[in-house]
Amino acid sequence: MIKGFAGRVLEIDLEARTFAFRPLDEDIARLYLGGKGYGTRLLYDLTRPGIDPLGPENPLIFATGPLNGSLAPQSNRFAVVCKSPLTGGIGSSACGGSFAFGLKKAGIDVVVVQGRSGVPVRVEIDGDTDAVRFLDASDLWGLGTGATQKALGRGMHHAVIGPAGENRVLYAGIVSDARIAGRCGVGAVMGSKGLKALSAQGTRKLEMADEAGFKTYTQWVRQVFKGHPVLGEKLRRFGTMGIVNTTNGRNMIPTRNFQAGHHPGAMNLSGEYLEDHGLVGVRSSCLHCPVACGREVEVPGAGRVKGPEYETAGMMGTNLGITDLAEVNRWNWMADELGLDTISLGVTLGFAMELQQRGLLSTGLTFGSPEGVAEMIEAIAHRRGMGDELAEGTRRLSLKYGGKEFAMHVKGLELSAYDPRGSFAQGVEYATTNRGGCHVQGASMYFESTGPLTINPQNLKLKAELPVVQQNLACAVNSMVLCIFTTYGLIPRQVHALKPSGWVHRLARVLFENSGPAYRWIMSGKLLQVTWMDKWLSRVTGMRITSGHLQEIGARIFNLERMYNLREGLTGADDTLPDRILHEPLYKHMTSGHPLDRLLPQYYRLRGWDEHGVPLPETLRRLKVRL
Amino acid sequence: MTITVELTYDMAKVLGTRSIPMEAPRTVAEVLREARGRFGDQGEAFDRMAGVAAIAVNGVLVAHRREGVRLADGDLITFVKTASGG
Ligand code: SF4
Repeated sequence: MIKGFAGRVLEIDLEARTFAFRPLDEDIARLYLGGKGYGTRLLYDLTRPGIDPLGPENPLIFATGPLNGSLAPQSNRFAVVCKSPLTGGIGSSACGGSFAFGLKKAGIDVVVVQGRSGVPVRVEIDGDTDAVRFLDASDLWGLGTGATQKALGRGMHHAVIGPAGENRVLYAGIVSDARIAGRCGVGAVMGSKGLKALSAQGTRKLEMADEAGFKTYTQWVRQVFKGHPVLGEKLRRFGTMGIVNTTNGRNMIPTRNFQAGHHPGAMNLSGEYLEDHGLVGVRSSCLHCPVACGREVEVPGAGRVKGPEYETAGMMGTNLGITDLAEVNRWNWMADELGLDTISLGVTLGFAMELQQRGLLSTGLTFGSPEGVAEMIEAIAHRRGMGDELAEGTRRLSLKYGGKEFAMHVKGLELSAYDPRGSFAQGVEYATTNRGGCHVQGASMYFESTGPLTINPQNLKLKAELPVVQQNLACAVNSMVLCIFTTYGLIPRQVHALKPSGWVHRLARVLFENSGPAYRWIMSGKLLQVTWMDKWLSRVTGMRITSGHLQEIGARIFNLERMYNLREGLTGADDTLPDRILHEPLYKHMTSGHPLDRLLPQYYRLRGWDEHGVPLPETLRRLKVRL
Repeated sequence: MTITVELTYDMAKVLGTRSIPMEAPRTVAEVLREARGRFGDQGEAFDRMAGVAAIAVNGVLVAHRREGVRLADGDLITFVKTASGG
């Protein structure tokens, strides 16, 4: 067995209440690593086309990777893969917390949950005795995610759902500690199986190829991260909300359902403001993460709880025209407790407000007013009244009540809090990412609008290359499974130190902007180990992995996801953006919206796909994607 | 003609205001000069903090001190500090 893997897959059948340990498939692990890659391969192989995402035949796959269970910073994460009830295509989501650690210590890489239980159930995995217990969870059904984990106790590491998952809200997530696998409705799939919680623990040791080398290297990386301007300073000090002022200043923070990109009060939702006014002085983190990008805030009635992330500040703040931090803190806590993805929730609420604004549907929600929002969040999670409609997500709501042109989703997944009209490569990513409109399957906006160089986000240079390289990298990172924020550490601190007012900064921007082919060539070099990840991975697994290998693994996963989507009926026509983004200018000088039509053909060519967005046979052959 | 200049959080904290309306600047360079003048004794602090921020006109980055960027009524000038994503 390749080192770094426990070597076992646990298959659970909730209907029959049986389980079996199977050996991890080494060939799949070599080709796809773990996490999202391994999960996608399994999903493709285990299911026939057209299954009901909320039916018992949709497997819910929890997958760790070779770096999980080690002390590599930002590595205690797991991926969840299934068919998405929100998009009908590939559903994948990643989560921090501590469950990945528990699984790996139990000597398990992957758990495949099949079937459906007629009554609420929870499953406990004891890795030391290899016992898998199916326990009655009726007493937990209806409890929030925090209350559930509290009731389950500290002996094990948990992945749980809240009422939203139980009630199959299409954007319900799965929670571990204070973190959530929020996207694609993975919590609804867990709820459809009657599975309230999955818990694991064990004391098994992870075997590494070069343990001493890994330790030394990890210590060095920790030091580098500590001194890094993003990982060691900004994220650590301000959390992800530290980005609010930047996107607001760049006119790209969603405001009133993307009708604008700037809100004069956005500063009140920033990490800096939180530090001065709301932060109670405690950072929160996924297990063993030195960055600790989470923040705790005081919410009346709830006490000290995890505070909102940037996405929540954007989507449930400015996107609703609201900049009251106390309200956003409260709604964020409610969403976490209920087990809701705050991105999809915020976009759906914003859409409901615009339906009201245009007189298309009386939702009782108005831009700029917090009135009724908390009640609606509760109603969504319990599918009561109008909440039942909003629980279906933006796409379905728009198909029923109109407003397709301002329904802010791609493939059914609601957009994240970066307006792509201010970040063209990000727009290409939103349009093409297999799971739908998402910002962490590439994060090109880092290079275009929020990072140290901020290349011109509104010309066409590099705007097709960047998404390809970034999406491949993100696929690999989500398969190791590392936190996507590790990729921020790839930009050396010296670049961050450049003064935007100076000519060196300007020169660097221009050079980078024109570096498309060079960028691709460097990242695909099969000789160079240029990222933390490939060096870590080599020391842990014993395989020599370069940045080029990571790109190849990422491309393989991306293409397999693509083939899964095509199999499920999604096509190139789904690689698009909402009409508002395509046609409505956001900036004063803009005459139209995002130029996707000019970038997409180039993107398809770079991917080795035909003009309809279908991977060419030679591309699949080259990448060893078996169908 | 009125334009609005929005400062970074750090600048607002030190200089005591989040945004400043200006009546008649025609270029970004003029905005910088006028803003510096308005902060009197704190002009140097303004310069220091403005130097480590990018400048955007209606969200679009422009070069510091570029005389050529003409401004129009209602424009929003922002000082933007780089951050990561999330
Ligand atoms: S940086 Fe934040 S999200 Fe990433 S592992 Fe650390 S605490 Fe978790």
